[in-house]
Amino acid sequence: MDRFLNAIASGVISGSLYAIMALGLSIIYGVSRVFNFAHGVIALLGGYLTWMFLSRFGLGLLPSMLLALPLLFLAGWLLYHATIRSLLRKPNWEFSTVLFLLGLGILLENVLLQLFGPRVKAIPPFVPFDPTTGLGTLRIGPIITTWHDVLLVVVVVAAVLLLNAFLKWSWTGQAMRAVAASVPGALAVGIDIQRVFALTFALAFLTTGFSGVLLGTKYYMTPHVGWEWMVKGFVIVTFGGLGSTTGAIYAAAILGIVEGLVSLYLAPIWVWPVWFAIFLIILLLRPQGIAGGRL
Amino acid sequence: MSNDRKLGSKKLTWRTIALGILLVFVLLYPLVGGQRNPYMLHLFTLFFIWSIVASNWNLLMGYAGVSSLGNIGFLAIGGYVSGILAKMYGISPWLTIPIGGIATCAVVTLLLGLPALRLKGIYIALLTLIFADSLPSVLTQTREVTGGAMGLHDIPPFFPGAEKIHTYYLCLAAFLVVQYILYRVVHSRTGLAFVALRDAEAFATSLGVSFYRERLKVFALSSFLTGIAGGFYVHTLGDISPTTLGIEPFLLAIAMIELGGVGTFFGPILGSAIIVFGNEFLRVADILRLTLLGAIICTIILFFPGGLMQLLERVETWVRRRTARQPVRG
Amino acid sequence: MLELHEVSAAYGDLQVLREVSLNVQEGEVVALFGPNGHGKSTLLKVIAGLHAAHSGSIRFRGEEIRGLPAHQIVARGLAYIPEERHLFPDMTVQENLRLGAYNSRARSRIRENLELVFEIFPRLAERRNQLCSTLSGGESRMVAIARGLMSAASLLLVDEPSIGLSPALKGAVFEAIGRINREAGITVLIVEQEIQHALALCHRYYLMKKGQILFERAVSEADIREIERAYF
Repeated sequence: MDRFLNAIASGVISGSLYAIMALGLSIIYGVSRVFNFAHGVIALLGGYLTWMFLSRFGLGLLPSMLLALPLLFLAGWLLYHATIRSLLRKPNWEFSTVLFLLGLGILLENVLLQLFGPRVKAIPPFVPFDPTTGLGTLRIGPIITTWHDVLLVVVVVAAVLLLNAFLKWSWTGQAMRAVAASVPGALAVGIDIQRVFALTFALAFLTTGFSGVLLGTKYYMTPHVGWEWMVKGFVIVTFGGLGSTTGAIYAAAILGIVEGLVSLYLAPIWVWPVWFAIFLIILLLRPQGIAGGRL
Repeated sequence: MSNDRKLGSKKLTWRTIALGILLVFVLLYPLVGGQRNPYMLHLFTLFFIWSIVASNWNLLMGYAGVSSLGNIGFLAIGGYVSGILAKMYGISPWLTIPIGGIATCAVVTLLLGLPALRLKGIYIALLTLIFADSLPSVLTQTREVTGGAMGLHDIPPFFPGAEKIHTYYLCLAAFLVVQYILYRVVHSRTGLAFVALRDAEAFATSLGVSFYRERLKVFALSSFLTGIAGGFYVHTLGDISPTTLGIEPFLLAIAMIELGGVGTFFGPILGSAIIVFGNEFLRVADILRLTLLGAIICTIILFFPGGLMQLLERVETWVRRRTARQPVRG
Repeated sequence: MLELHEVSAAYGDLQVLREVSLNVQEGEVVALFGPNGHGKSTLLKVIAGLHAAHSGSIRFRGEEIRGLPAHQIVARGLAYIPEERHLFPDMTVQENLRLGAYNSRARSRIRENLELVFEIFPRLAERRNQLCSTLSGGESRMVAIARGLMSAASLLLVDEPSIGLSPALKGAVFEAIGRINREAGITVLIVEQEIQHALALCHRYYLMKKGQILFERAVSEADIREIERAYF
């Protein structure tokens, strides 16, 4: 029973990380219908840039993030205007964007490999912990976790609430939701669609980069792990329903917990096959996912 | 007026002559010196095989408009089936290769083609991606038969004692046959149906084109032929491993199609020639190889979406305009 | 207020508008009649910046607006109300209306415009917190028109607002448009098939066929038979 609860707890933690990671993908698709096949590497970019400011420039975690994340915001905005915008004008945009972003992802992944090498990097956790000495661990009843993990969940919840508030209350956020709902409708009310698309990419890159930093505090970062994060992101947004951010969050929580339980009751080696199996089942049986995203 | 007609037929003759020369070259090459350069023979053989993969991927993606990301998986299935049957059961490759093709066709049509009937665009891309991505895991689970991560080795050649020159001609024959089949398909009513469904689905179905039948056809055909290419692949190289399903062959194949020109007939052939022979130059850049590949793909998609074939067309038009300004000679 | 001079547009190789010239004076309601598929909707879209005109001039309040992106045209006070409505289905009526005031000029006048809108369309006030996906056909039409009003537009381009509605609703829609024009002083260019209703509403009308303006009449000289003949 204890092990069960701990598995659930660890599932909730990884689920929340997955949630913040999948949001960027969901937002871009929801607003612009572009599926970001470079998603994993963008998360890594956030992690690596932060790591660079931390290790090579000797800055603290917060200043490093404050430097790295706006860079990602800018990168998203620039990428949209420089490349995606012209691809979207053509009739075959659906797969030209897929192939372009795929190529870009590989390009960036290998640039990261050149710059940072293949060896594992990690970002120090918010609260240091050491399993051997018990430093930083936290016991809630039968659940053994760390302060860092708890903080991660808190940070994710705060970020998601912030994002939701932005989307619901700010003019720009509402404009993004409007464009996601109906482009002709958005045009009718005078929304500048190109500006919204660019801002969407920028915001999504920021969110994804941020998730990369969080992931980097808990898991190892190598240039190749981005692909794995990305595939998980794909499963999550499809499971949740393409275009629905709420669906993605639920899906992330569910899949995080499933992952924890599979690790416990089967074996960690089964985790990947289970992700694949879930992906296949969704695509074959209910492609519109939980929230009934657009088909 | 007669000038136009002359120019029209001139263009056709120009292309046909070029093709004819290339064909003769490729037929005679081993006999007139290719023997002295086994490495080049090998490259040509690889080109024959990969252009089958590229052309069939182009049939699925370019002509039929299906965003498939998993065609390398077709190659792998056909290759593994043929290789295992030949190696473990001693069956002749003349049989195992077609069996490999049929097996691939069956698997793909069932697992991908049927679901794709209900799915649109990005979902098909995701389904085919995850299909290809999950094959290495399947291979690892069946390692007694497939050799797992180590791969399948010592696959028997086409026939005992086959040498490079034999393999060359066998693959050349396969290449010619497959390209001929594809050419006929593309220029048939089926080919027209593929394109019509891609560009104007509602209109095409209202004219009686059966979406389901044509979709299944294109999956079946492209997977069958790519599976056959897989068979030729394993009996030429002697081994196959999960690395064939890795990111590099995938990018190379995408580059072949994009470079040549998606949706054109000769594009993938041209593209695969350049990539196979040019890959050697990329090999020099070793560590930067993937970076370069990614950069090439991005550049082509952004600036030369029609690939080299489009460039060639533009050159042709330019040449035609210049020669049209010449006075008509009596 | 709005002047079109020899505006032509095409869809690919297909000419849809052939040198269309018309004008709308401030405070008027001008109707555009004509058989379906002959370019009336396209004309509205072209004025709104949703489709390109390859030649001609479109002047709004003296300023050339041909070629401007749609959002800048809305910012200048021209609102397009499409036949298909294009509402935001998972948002409430109120949210849709507020979004109607997206452009910077309209934002400061949201409150007063909402009051105006709810006064003209009391039904919407009742349904303000309902999701637009749950509205009936007539109600969503009203939201579409109301949303256009929220943009603080001085000229509304309305595309077949009464199509598909029951006779009672048709009457309500036209009455609303009439009130918008008389009480709020908003100019209207309306495309309609309901000739009688539109004639009761407009000051002038044009007839468009095969992408060209056939004739223009003041409503005092309205000749129904002439209009009907043009349809055949």
